[in-house]
Amino acid sequence: MIYLDNAGTTPVLKECVDIVKECLETDFYNPSALYSPSVELSRKIRTAREEILTALRGDGNLVFTSSGSESDNTALFCTKKPNGSRIIVSATEHPAVYNCAMELLQRGYDVVFCGVDEYGRVKEDEFRSLINENTSLISIMHVNNETGCVNDIKKLCKIAKSIKPGVLFHSDGVQAVGKIKVNLSDLGVDLYSISGHKIHAPKGIAGLYIRAGVNIRPYIFGGGQEGGLRSSTENVSGILSFAYALKQATMKVNENADRLFLLRKKIIDGVPSEFRVVDCPTQSPYILYMAMPQVRGEVMLHSLEKYGVYIGTGSACSSKKTHKRLPALLGFDKEYENGTIRVSLNRFTSENDIDYFIKCLNLEYNTLKKYVRG
Amino acid sequence: MEKIILLRVGELFLKGNNRHYFVSCLKNNILAALDGFSCRFNGTQNRMYVEEYDEEDESAIIKRLLCVFGISSISPAFKVLSDEKTLRETCDEISPKEGKFRVTVNRADKRINKTSMEIAREIGGYMLFKEKSRKVDLFSFDFEVNVDIRENGYSYISYEKIAAQGGLPVGCGGNAMLLLSGGIDSPVAAYRMAKRGVKIFAVHFHSFPYTSELAKEKVINLARILVPYCGEIELNVVPFTDIQYAIKEKCPIEYMITIMRRFMMRIAQRLSEQNNCGCIVTGESLGQVASQTMESINVTNSVVTLPVFRPLIGMDKTEIIETAQSIGTFETSILPYEDCCTVFLPKNPVIKPKIEYAVAYEERIENREELISEAIAHAEVLHIR
Repeated sequence: MIYLDNAGTTPVLKECVDIVKECLETDFYNPSALYSPSVELSRKIRTAREEILTALRGDGNLVFTSSGSESDNTALFCTKKPNGSRIIVSATEHPAVYNCAMELLQRGYDVVFCGVDEYGRVKEDEFRSLINENTSLISIMHVNNETGCVNDIKKLCKIAKSIKPGVLFHSDGVQAVGKIKVNLSDLGVDLYSISGHKIHAPKGIAGLYIRAGVNIRPYIFGGGQEGGLRSSTENVSGILSFAYALKQATMKVNENADRLFLLRKKIIDGVPSEFRVVDCPTQSPYILYMAMPQVRGEVMLHSLEKYGVYIGTGSACSSKKTHKRLPALLGFDKEYENGTIRVSLNRFTSENDIDYFIKCLNLEYNTLKKYVRG
Repeated sequence: MEKIILLRVGELFLKGNNRHYFVSCLKNNILAALDGFSCRFNGTQNRMYVEEYDEEDESAIIKRLLCVFGISSISPAFKVLSDEKTLRETCDEISPKEGKFRVTVNRADKRINKTSMEIAREIGGYMLFKEKSRKVDLFSFDFEVNVDIRENGYSYISYEKIAAQGGLPVGCGGNAMLLLSGGIDSPVAAYRMAKRGVKIFAVHFHSFPYTSELAKEKVINLARILVPYCGEIELNVVPFTDIQYAIKEKCPIEYMITIMRRFMMRIAQRLSEQNNCGCIVTGESLGQVASQTMESINVTNSVVTLPVFRPLIGMDKTEIIETAQSIGTFETSILPYEDCCTVFLPKNPVIKPKIEYAVAYEERIENREELISEAIAHAEVLHIR
């Protein structure tokens, strides 16, 4: 099996499985209890939180959540925003941000969507022109989950704060953390979403970084965990394995990226010439977005299944919808619109995997293009 | 005072000497529907009862039985000893305290010395005496108290009558092979044929990689929704891509759908023979799409010898949707997965195809027999329960 849909989710590290196992079998205590094994667990959680913040150079708090979507929702809904104020998000945001923005629009906020260039990056000039005195919140993703293009968050954040000091800047960094270098203090963001299962931790654990001095409203009330912001018995196994996975992923982030850039290049060189490939000057090496003329992406996805090769057609969260935003925004011709596929790697992807994938892709493409719709 | 559920059969009353066959079919289906409930089913020729069940299960049992074809109505009832005092007191106790009512008595136990009318009058009189705000009205009443006095010394008293499906018990009308696409129409066609006592076998054409596992899952879910009505369904998932490729390569694109459907019919007929089905069923409705014009239907029909039943042929889409909503298939049917018919949909499909053309085009596919046999050989057979 060759799994090339790692932007959807990743296989869990064996060490993470061991951590989870130990938490379920031995360290099953409620970290809020008063006896010593519980106190020990709460200490481990504190260490995990600190380790993640250190690895990402964060200066503030990290709230553990259940998913990247929850982190994004928290950032968009639980921040203080004057009624009717302006909210800026990019047009290619993940549905977890995009649909929050649509909801805020319904609730009377002045939500505007910033256009993107042919790679999916926010257009700086347009972005600058959208910021006004009433802007309260901005949410721009760090790495696009479909094309893998990298937005210059540091620069955008700076622009925003120079025009409207005090504006809150959130970035969805789910596809960035552990894959490109992330330095939260340097980026200057106020809020930043991260997720475990994109970096080989289990599903069900994620986090929202909140810069020191930024206030958000509590949104799950109860026992007061997570500093009272998100009550719930802590997901101990998730938190500990997340911290482990994140440390591992960030350790050799540049080395891994260099190797993956070569593999990614190999795919670009190996696909049929009529494919359109999105290859951004600022690019995550983990994601490759391509479009085929006439052949539907979903058909290619199923065709590759029979070789045990699994790819994606776009965000798993939006691939079930008939309407897709991205191809139109990237300016694809009509015949390419339905032919998009997303190949996403992880740091363990080997050259052999890629060779085999390229072989299967070419073979299937040559068959499928014979039977295009009349 | 024991609670029971009383079942009435509808059309089966019209049956003559073979009535026994229909009734035993119905009993089997009811027993299957009651699977999982702890209860006793008691079926004589004329009356059927579910007894000795947990009262908390009553509404769930009724809900299941409301899907069983052959039952015309259902009443929750009380089983009491047939003595006059018990009868009138029970009738009073279980009835609403106000409103217009009538009492209807059916006296099968002729050991009781009064006529049905006399007993009804006495019970009605007692009920009026007990509650002043009740009124008798034999024609326009709010509730009707039914007293069924049986030969076994017991009576069954009910005041609510829930209309059930009616129709004939599934299985008594033979087997049919349904073309199940995943759209709105074919599940409704299955429902309507099952209502006439037909046991449903289904064939679904799967065009992997053009249609996904999710599309197949959708068809399985549709079949699952139909199970309470149709009983177990044998679903044949036939790989169809190679046939579509062959047609696409050899035949004019505007005949794509016509010829595809002729292949589907041939496969359906073969599967019918294997499964002892006496007919093929489709969800076609005249004029709905290009392949459902009179001419198209004629061209696709001409490749089979079995009768093809099209229970929706004269129905409007809105009527079909209404039924789909009432049987619960609609929401699943409209999930947006591509089905095999839309994969190679031509821009301008032929509306009035001609048999001789279709035959001539098909002859270009020299290995057509082989393709059909291959498709059937690789069919996946699923038993949906």
